[in-house]
Amino acid sequence: MILEIQNLHVRTEEREILHGVDLKVEQGETHALMGPNGSGKSTLANTIMGNPVYEVTEGKIRFDGQDLTEADPDERARAGLFLAFQYPATIPGVSVANFLRMAVNARRDEPIKVKDFGKMMREQVELLKIDPEFVSRYLNEGFSGGEKKRAEILQLAMLKPAIAVLDETDSGLDIDALRIVSDGVKALSGPDMGTLIITHYTRILNYVRPQFVHIMLDGRIVRDGGPELADELEQKGYEFLREEVAAANAG
Amino acid sequence: MPASTATTWLEELRTTAREAYAAEPVPSWRRSGFWTTSLRALDLDSLEARGYEPVGGLPEIVTGALGQAEHAGLIVQHGQSTIYSDLDPALAEQGVIVCPLEQAVEEHPELVRQWYMRRLSHQEGKFAAASAAFWSGGVFVHVPSNVKVDRPIQSVYLIDEPGTAQYAHTLAVVGEHAECSIREYCLGANIDGQALHAGGFELYAQAGANVRLAHFHDWGTGDIYDISTKRVEIARDAHVDWVPIHLGGRLTKQTLDIITAERGSDMRHTGLYFTERDEHLDLFTTDRHEQGHTTGDTVWKGALTGRSRASYEGLIHILPDSQETHTYLQTHQMLLSSQAKGDAIPSLIVETDDVSASHGGTVGELDEGQIFYMTSRGITRSEAVRILVEGYFEEVVTRLRDPGLEELVRHRIAEKLKAAEDQVAEFIGERAEVG
Repeated sequence: MILEIQNLHVRTEEREILHGVDLKVEQGETHALMGPNGSGKSTLANTIMGNPVYEVTEGKIRFDGQDLTEADPDERARAGLFLAFQYPATIPGVSVANFLRMAVNARRDEPIKVKDFGKMMREQVELLKIDPEFVSRYLNEGFSGGEKKRAEILQLAMLKPAIAVLDETDSGLDIDALRIVSDGVKALSGPDMGTLIITHYTRILNYVRPQFVHIMLDGRIVRDGGPELADELEQKGYEFLREEVAAANAG
Repeated sequence: MPASTATTWLEELRTTAREAYAAEPVPSWRRSGFWTTSLRALDLDSLEARGYEPVGGLPEIVTGALGQAEHAGLIVQHGQSTIYSDLDPALAEQGVIVCPLEQAVEEHPELVRQWYMRRLSHQEGKFAAASAAFWSGGVFVHVPSNVKVDRPIQSVYLIDEPGTAQYAHTLAVVGEHAECSIREYCLGANIDGQALHAGGFELYAQAGANVRLAHFHDWGTGDIYDISTKRVEIARDAHVDWVPIHLGGRLTKQTLDIITAERGSDMRHTGLYFTERDEHLDLFTTDRHEQGHTTGDTVWKGALTGRSRASYEGLIHILPDSQETHTYLQTHQMLLSSQAKGDAIPSLIVETDDVSASHGGTVGELDEGQIFYMTSRGITRSEAVRILVEGYFEEVVTRLRDPGLEELVRHRIAEKLKAAEDQVAEFIGERAEVG
């Protein structure tokens, strides 16, 4: 299955943020989308998932041959897309376990058996080195930054999407938390999952090595390449790229 | 001593209250802004007290609300008549009293007289006077010092005929270091016409007592008016955990006061309301600290659908010389319809120094960010709304610490959300498009 983004233009009420983005992510591939703050990375992630705050004015989002450009977020999720949020919402009164069960059931015809669900959850909780008590807490209520990110990865592990977009999952994590989250992503990656890692920094890419790297500046993808592109960025920084792009445009 | 002499004091109080009732005008309550609670539509003269004979079995509406759990004692008042009165004989032997207040006045005159109307007054308006003057049946609960009652003590006020005026009075006295759980239900059938419940409720938790108190109001879809005052007094080192629940009624105007009266007294006050259709709810609660070293924690949450109106005002009042009082009040209100209106007003009067008192209030709508988050996991929009509203109330519901009652409240909230599903969907749909 392929997630295919073609000439995507996106705006909010105030202004246009994405000015024609093209990107293809296939099941089994790992991509990194890098860019400075405000370049439109999170807008792209949210638009892929159908956040109603963003309006697509031109272009298409296709998944598995289906046009999802106008689909509701829940349809996209059921089709196999997943977004790990940069700032996940707090859901008071709903425990992590209950939320997971509702999300798992949302993509099944028959509700999962309580026993099967419990087993599945215990396995993933163990894999991600999560305290079993954690799942009885209300989702994201009073969670630390690291706990929120771990809850996102736990959902990813339970829902097993075809394509996962990780929006700045590495930000705000200390080195131990980053390692646990990265190990989780690595363990879940494989022929059945495509991953788009959105990040400002290169450090997560030391743990999860992408095959493809894309760089976004001012609402456009300005460079595509292999992992060496991330290394180049590490050395030269975004300013260097910005100048290079400006020079190319001028010429 | 003949009974007539024993109850002379009560007759005198009733007479004074009757005079106050006759002299007082029908009130209306105004606050700044748009808020008015008016009784213009209530045809008081068409209502009358209605009597009923005791029956073998309880009405279905009562058994449905009470569920199957065992109780320590139960009083059911239908209209103006007690139709059911029951107390576990083993508890009666330990000195526990659960009986109609009328009966307690005859059988335990000294005890009743000592506490009756200590914190209530017939001078708080026409309906406080009416309930003090005209109450019949009533409920009396007494748990003697050091007695622990492990099952709930329950009382029910039932209205199921239009034209009913029900005047109610519950007096509960929990002795020193005693423990119990008291639940009072105000239940209405879906009548076609008007009715009135004017009630007084008073609970005294004596030194070191520990009481869990719940009020469950569900007056149904008829035009039942509830104008009541409920007051709880907590003595030294005693604790009361009070959970009032409001799930229906044409017009409700209640004053709910919780008084930490002596050092070391501690309270938790957690309320919930859900209004729908053209219901009107007006609640005023006071968290009153009369001495220092008292503590309180108040949380009220509500939701509104239809064209309903709901106002919650919560006051923290700390009296002079009440140093080292620590208290906290939070109120939240969620609008689920473009035509509903409400407010949630926390306020504070502090007449002493060296206290900590904080309060906060919000009126809001469902958060689009939360809805997007849930739908991104495959949950449909309408399901997400239901989960969010139920989750919002869950903090209050779990404070009931009573599985049967918790299930009843969850079930009723789910029913109300289901009934309003289309308008809620439309409301949040409009907002999503604007966003």
